[in-house]
Amino acid sequence: MRIVLEKVGYEYQQGSPFSAVALKDIDLTIREGEFVALIGHTGSGKSTLAQHLNGLIRPTQGTVYYEDEEGRADIHGKGYSKKSLRRQVGLVFQYPEYQLFEETVQKDVAFGPKNLGLDKDEIDARVKEAITRVGLDYDAVAEKSPFELSGGQMRRVAIAGVVAMRPGVLVLDEPTAGLDPGSREELLQMIKGLHDSGTTIVMISHNMDDVARYAGRIVVMQKGTVVMDGTPREIFSRGEELERMGLDVPQSCRLSLMLRKDGFPDFPLCYRPEEVTEALEKLLGGEGRAC
Amino acid sequence: MLADITLGQFYPADSFVHKMDPRVKIVLLIVFIVGIFLAKNLIAFIPAVLFVILAARMSRLPVRLLIRSLKPLRFILIFTFILNIFFLQGNLPEGQEPTPVLDWWIIHLTAEGILQALLYSLRLIVLVLGSSLLTLSTSPIALTDGLEMLMTPLKVIRFPAHEIAMMMSIALRFIPTLLEEADKIMKAQTARGADFESGNILKRAKAMIPLLVPLFVSAFRRAGDLAMAMEARCYHGGEGRTRLRVLKCTWRDLWGAAAAVLMVAGCVLISEFVHII
Repeated sequence: MRIVLEKVGYEYQQGSPFSAVALKDIDLTIREGEFVALIGHTGSGKSTLAQHLNGLIRPTQGTVYYEDEEGRADIHGKGYSKKSLRRQVGLVFQYPEYQLFEETVQKDVAFGPKNLGLDKDEIDARVKEAITRVGLDYDAVAEKSPFELSGGQMRRVAIAGVVAMRPGVLVLDEPTAGLDPGSREELLQMIKGLHDSGTTIVMISHNMDDVARYAGRIVVMQKGTVVMDGTPREIFSRGEELERMGLDVPQSCRLSLMLRKDGFPDFPLCYRPEEVTEALEKLLGGEGRAC
Repeated sequence: MLADITLGQFYPADSFVHKMDPRVKIVLLIVFIVGIFLAKNLIAFIPAVLFVILAARMSRLPVRLLIRSLKPLRFILIFTFILNIFFLQGNLPEGQEPTPVLDWWIIHLTAEGILQALLYSLRLIVLVLGSSLLTLSTSPIALTDGLEMLMTPLKVIRFPAHEIAMMMSIALRFIPTLLEEADKIMKAQTARGADFESGNILKRAKAMIPLLVPLFVSAFRRAGDLAMAMEARCYHGGEGRTRLRVLKCTWRDLWGAAAAVLMVAGCVLISEFVHII
């Protein structure tokens, strides 16, 4: 299934003196199986855009379609069931651990599937799978209160709550914010795992190194519009423009740009640490190994 | 969803009323309310109405904002007015008969009763307008500052004036934060298929649990953080604390007080000498 946004615009508190345009004229298609990173400065409209993807916000202009072989459907159109909307696109908010509410981890993760109206066996199976999937030991945490867990574990439980609904598209709003490097790495690996097993991923991130390593496509937003859209290589080769927007480039990319500027014009533009290492080794030849 | 709710109605503007001392405004509001309850008939209400109109003009608030403050009251107004015209006969001097307007079956309407029902409704309208003028023209912080100063004399009887004012300003400060938080949690649970809008009362109340539990958890967390942050900055209550905004009475407050006194005097004198109902 593809998500197609056509001329989507959104204005907060439309018509009041406090109105503010959050999005304007967004044309965007999220194709099946993609790993899209959504980057942009704070207040550029990333989170607002993310909430349009599963119909939580109704655009004030334009239309959001879900499209498959059978054709396209306006998700805010008549007769489009909200339930099927939530089933198809899962959204993990920023700091999702603040949404936990149940007495046990098992019940909390089961909340979503239950709302989908699945039968008990199916729910139990999905809950177990989701909890394992996010890297937690089901038997150890299932009957614990989610509030007894550590911050990183709480976040995983919250994500499991969405994963258990088995959405075809998973949208994550800064999933790694505030995590220690270890948990951050594990979480990203888990997201990558979901992607490998066929889930389309849309991830909002501020960390360009993560984006460079995992995303297959990058969408850059500024002031409510999409200003760049392409592969990491395409996007990061425009590093100076990104910096003008107040955005970073990955460290590997910065290093290669610096090298290109200061006497190594042939140095390849790398955006992953492995590539930089490889290119450096090539550049230094035998000498490199000596030091 | 919840984002459209605006709490605390302060409307910033640069005006005579906005610049008045909050303490004075609060006291004047009380004086004003006493005044409108001393006005016994419609003529005696003229000074009160004039006072509100004058204050509204001098506050430079958009008229529609003031009208909007009456909106939540519309049912009460209509309801009390209709009930009153059926049950009131007017406060007539003894021996004087009311003038009947409609006499049918069990319904007896009198001209005096209708006038009095009008008076009651008008009293309610003017009362709300006056209070709205205070809340619209005074920022919540100024309001709590004013209240604190007014409550200070009560410290003699160990009334915790500073603490109460501090609690009020903290509560006011966190209303928008918690609303935002509630909105976010609501959306997040909606994304997990929660349904807050359909079903009977019992079902809807139950549907609030996924919203309320995280909201309470986060409110407590915020309270803990705030207490810690205050402690870290050596907060120890109101004793010896100086203020950022020092309240000062000016000629504006004098004028305001004079107008209010005139208004009350007008209401009382007219009630005394003019009898229409």
